[in-house]
Amino acid sequence: MPMKKFVNKPEDLVSELLRGFALANADKIKVLDNNLVVRARPKAKNKVAIVTLGGSGHEPALSGFVGEGMLDISVPGDIFAAPGPPKVIEALRMANRKAGVLFIVLNHAGDVLSSNMALEMAKREGLNVRKVLTHEDISAGSRKNPTDRRGLAGCLAVIKVAGAAAEKGKSLEECAAIAERMEANLATLAVAVSAATHPATGGVIADVKEDEMVVGMGQHGEAGGGTQKLKSADETAAIMLDALIKDLKIKKGEEVLAIINGVGSTTLMEQYIVLQSVKKVLDRKKIALARCLAGEFLTVQEMGGFQMILGRMDKELLSLWDAPCHCPAWSVK
Amino acid sequence: MPDKFVQAQLSAMLMGAVARIKANHKELSRLDSFGGDGDHGSAMLRAADAIAKTVSGAKKKATKDLLSDTAWAVMGIDGGATGPLLGSFFLGMSDAAGKGKSLDAKGLSALFISGLEGVMKNTPARAGDKTMLDALIPAVEAMQTGAKAGAGIPDCLKSAADAAAKGAETTSKMKARFGRAKNLGDKSIGNKDAGAVSMSLIFKGFSEGVESA
Repeated sequence: MPMKKFVNKPEDLVSELLRGFALANADKIKVLDNNLVVRARPKAKNKVAIVTLGGSGHEPALSGFVGEGMLDISVPGDIFAAPGPPKVIEALRMANRKAGVLFIVLNHAGDVLSSNMALEMAKREGLNVRKVLTHEDISAGSRKNPTDRRGLAGCLAVIKVAGAAAEKGKSLEECAAIAERMEANLATLAVAVSAATHPATGGVIADVKEDEMVVGMGQHGEAGGGTQKLKSADETAAIMLDALIKDLKIKKGEEVLAIINGVGSTTLMEQYIVLQSVKKVLDRKKIALARCLAGEFLTVQEMGGFQMILGRMDKELLSLWDAPCHCPAWSVK
Repeated sequence: MPDKFVQAQLSAMLMGAVARIKANHKELSRLDSFGGDGDHGSAMLRAADAIAKTVSGAKKKATKDLLSDTAWAVMGIDGGATGPLLGSFFLGMSDAAGKGKSLDAKGLSALFISGLEGVMKNTPARAGDKTMLDALIPAVEAMQTGAKAGAGIPDCLKSAADAAAKGAETTSKMKARFGRAKNLGDKSIGNKDAGAVSMSLIFKGFSEGVESA
């Protein structure tokens, strides 16, 4: 079956999507000739810079998080594929400053490889860079083996609090500690109900049977176990939330952040319905829903499903979460 | 075919790999669609183009520089893990290359060993994990065995290519433990690993490229 997507030549996907992204967000970001995405108005040089990298095809992630209060530079790769080390080192060089660079990396093989090779170069060149790895997907490994866990849409929370800390003028050490604390208190679980099409190859990613859903599917259609009959919003939310609460060992009386991240064809209506299901379960368990969001932050083309992100919050994390940001994907006043 | 290896032959060797990849990229994407995104072939195609461009622009370059330029070009393709891993192979080869312009079978074997070390430094995967290493390790070993026995470069590369092909073949029985395919668990058994097949194509191309030079 031919792919039903409004695209031009497959090799032009990334450059064309970035061109449109820049046109639509000219007040917030700029796309440089080398395809690095930077802020329209750079942050003061005496503040920590934040850089990330990741494959394209997940819009608005990750370049949609560039802007005031969040990232300074995003290094987009090809569709679903990490950018190579040369482009990453270019970004680190550009961001480098006395205050330092916080380098947020989502745990996927290609991203980790590119970032490690770039970091080795950065060290040789004497750049002041500190890496934080996000790996909050609870389906792919236990907390004891964190490197098995993938980095999913929970990076949004890490980037948000670290970005706010940097904006407040905190040191590299402090920003990294905040990012790591948020990361350690985050858990994400994904559910998929229908497949995505790779926009360059036309290949089908993560086919799911008509009457089934797969809990634990990653953002490239990686199977994570948990194939089951399709369930209602309430039932699905309860299954997923139970797993997240158990993983984080959240107790009665604690305050949490919940994000419902639609991954493509699951409607905003459904995301809202799931979010209220989440609230019902938390109420029953006497856990406080301190902050929440629903929307498309990290997508997988037209895949059906969503990622549920739960974070344990403390006073400082909440105040950083509430700090202003101004990005293509999200604004807080 | 002389045993001493000069730049023209190194270029021919690299271009042989380019031709092999270009002829088989669709099959590589098909193999990748079982556990990955189905885009390994297009990443390898971009890597092949990057290699071809480097080789054609490098008329008078020392082996060391040609290999390191090739590595950086390959790493720059933005192809997920493919670019950095393949790039680290060429970068490792470059690290071991002397300034000299000639190379015999033992010298080339030493470059391959250093290339393999470059890859192993950048991935926790080892033999039997259903990755490119399952083709690369036997290829490098066969090259080494041939060189020690006194065979010339063409013969050594031929046995390296055969060993790589056999190695890639064995990956169909393996369970993936790295990359996206690892999430398939037992379901990954039954198909060859796309990265291992890529590596076997590269060695097949190396061998053909040197034969035709």
